[in-house]
Amino acid sequence: MDALIHLVGGFAVALRPLNLALAFTGVFVGTFVGMLPGIGPINAIAILIPITFAAGIPPESALILLAGIYYGSQYGNSISTILLNVPGTASAVVTALDGNAMTRQGRGGPALAMAAIASFFGGTVSILGLALFAPLLAEWAIRFGPAEYFALMVFAFAALSSLAGGSLVRGLAATGFGLLLATVGLDPNSAIPRFTFGQIKLLDGMDFVVVTIGLFAVSEVLQLLEDTERGRSAMATYGRVMITMKEFTTSLGTMIRGSVLGFLVGVLPGAGGTIASFLAYSTEQRVSDREGTFGKGDIRGVAAPESANNAAANGAMIPLLTLGVPGSGTTAVLLGALLGLGVTPGPLLITEEPDLFWGLAASMYVGNVFLLLLNLPLVGVFVRALTLPRWFLLPGVAALSFVAVYAVNQSPFDLALMTGFGVVGWLMRKTGFPLAPVILGLVLGPLMEKSLRRAMALSGGEWGVLFDSPIALVLWALAAASLVLPPLLARRTRLPYAAAQAEGDT
Amino acid sequence: MTGEGAPDGSGRTDRVAGALLAALGLAVGAESSTFDVAFLTDPVGPKALPYLTAAIFVGAGGFLLLRPGLPPVWPGRGVLTRMAGATAAFFLYGVVLAPLGFTVATTLAVGTLSMLFEGPVRKSFGAALGLSVALWYLFVWVLGLPLPLGALWTR
Repeated sequence: MDALIHLVGGFAVALRPLNLALAFTGVFVGTFVGMLPGIGPINAIAILIPITFAAGIPPESALILLAGIYYGSQYGNSISTILLNVPGTASAVVTALDGNAMTRQGRGGPALAMAAIASFFGGTVSILGLALFAPLLAEWAIRFGPAEYFALMVFAFAALSSLAGGSLVRGLAATGFGLLLATVGLDPNSAIPRFTFGQIKLLDGMDFVVVTIGLFAVSEVLQLLEDTERGRSAMATYGRVMITMKEFTTSLGTMIRGSVLGFLVGVLPGAGGTIASFLAYSTEQRVSDREGTFGKGDIRGVAAPESANNAAANGAMIPLLTLGVPGSGTTAVLLGALLGLGVTPGPLLITEEPDLFWGLAASMYVGNVFLLLLNLPLVGVFVRALTLPRWFLLPGVAALSFVAVYAVNQSPFDLALMTGFGVVGWLMRKTGFPLAPVILGLVLGPLMEKSLRRAMALSGGEWGVLFDSPIALVLWALAAASLVLPPLLARRTRLPYAAAQAEGDT
Repeated sequence: MTGEGAPDGSGRTDRVAGALLAALGLAVGAESSTFDVAFLTDPVGPKALPYLTAAIFVGAGGFLLLRPGLPPVWPGRGVLTRMAGATAAFFLYGVVLAPLGFTVATTLAVGTLSMLFEGPVRKSFGAALGLSVALWYLFVWVLGLPLPLGALWTR
């Protein structure tokens, strides 16, 4: 029960006026940005990171703001998925099945309310999970040496490579690209320049914000140019944003199963929201779809993926905060933000920065309450924004990207770099290469190289040290399994692999 | 997807991508071999990670070259022209930002993008101007983030 006492202390941090205001701002802005066609959580966070830095707020407050943006953008994504059938991320693809069917039957309002309630449910379950399991994992991870960390990061890379896009070879190539970008600049150990081609501006290396905004936001704008003829989206009528008691009670079991499943999947590296929502939906279909109503506007078809998705988002914070090793593109961007704020996540974070850790855990909950209490009444406002024409919304996203990239170093050179990454990102999308592993490689690459070098320095150049401990061996086995198993499992569970091809937030 | 594009023949895109990846891998390997240090600070040195990425590129590139997957659908000429226009707007924004200043450069770039998304000309640039001024106010006055005024006007 120690954890619950700490969690109460965390609420004292989260309920400070500044943090409360930031959680609200994050959720609100995140909902708005996440709702824009094609703009998922990773774009929303990357664009708003430099702005957060510029505002000069303390680390725990900045993190609360970014976490709020994370959840808010997921809910915003649900709004455009349910009402317009344009899922901004792969994880929302499943929500579109029943959510949009409900909209076409004039029941968009209950679908939106269900999405908010299920997200809240997933958030509640997973925050309790976080408070209970994160300290345990941290205690266990204290024993990790550099060799174990190296193996853990290889595991994260292997899992994301094989799960991000459905093609292992393309995922590995994307990871390799990220690792290559990570080596650009002065080598921290020997201080020799690598891949700088005499460019002084490259000595500091590639900033992850510039790369992320280029690869994701700029390439998204280019991609959306392909279907401009839709111009203004026709808005469906959606009715009252409320569900009945009966709808709530029939969905209760769905939400509980979805939350627990989503949380467990979220903790694993590589899997994330996409797999969580697919798995929750297909499980629910098998468990409770007796009348064959799934896919035809069954409210449980909204409750399952939405609760799982939100629970997975919180579950993914556990490896990020206690091991310092993110398992997805979005959490990699959050790690970059943490490092930029001078916070090094790891097993000691909980004991050394209790305010930050428990404050964040509590604010996740506060953010979920905001999502429920404020987004339901405000849905009308958000929906009105959705009817603004594309020629106004998308260039607006571009303008925010400009400011964000410029704010990193106050350097126009970064804007040219961003444009280059935008073109590369578009080519990668077109040819089926996933983008998330690039960001993971870029953010995690330096840490992986550092732990490899430290392990080898300790062993005096003996490579066997990497496989010396039982923990390391288990991690190597997990890495190998994550390369081999997903294609086999996908065939057995009929996990819609092709749908996961749609570039997601994993 | 506008449907005006056509799939390429028999995985040619993947073969080209594979060849490029493998070539990039070889180039990375060659460049990495020049990372020599006078005295080794650690047993691994600065070459290990670049060599690893080179190996991944050569391996993945070779695989795609031999076993290409489904071909992508490339957009038609009209869309490609708009994309080239948008890329130019993104790139030129970085070039003109310092001399023209934030508001003017942003109005031009965002207005051009709006037009590429088929916004009406006058409304596009009007909205872009409004947005630039609003962003300037938000970032410079509220958040205290310095944005360039424009070297041309402030000389």
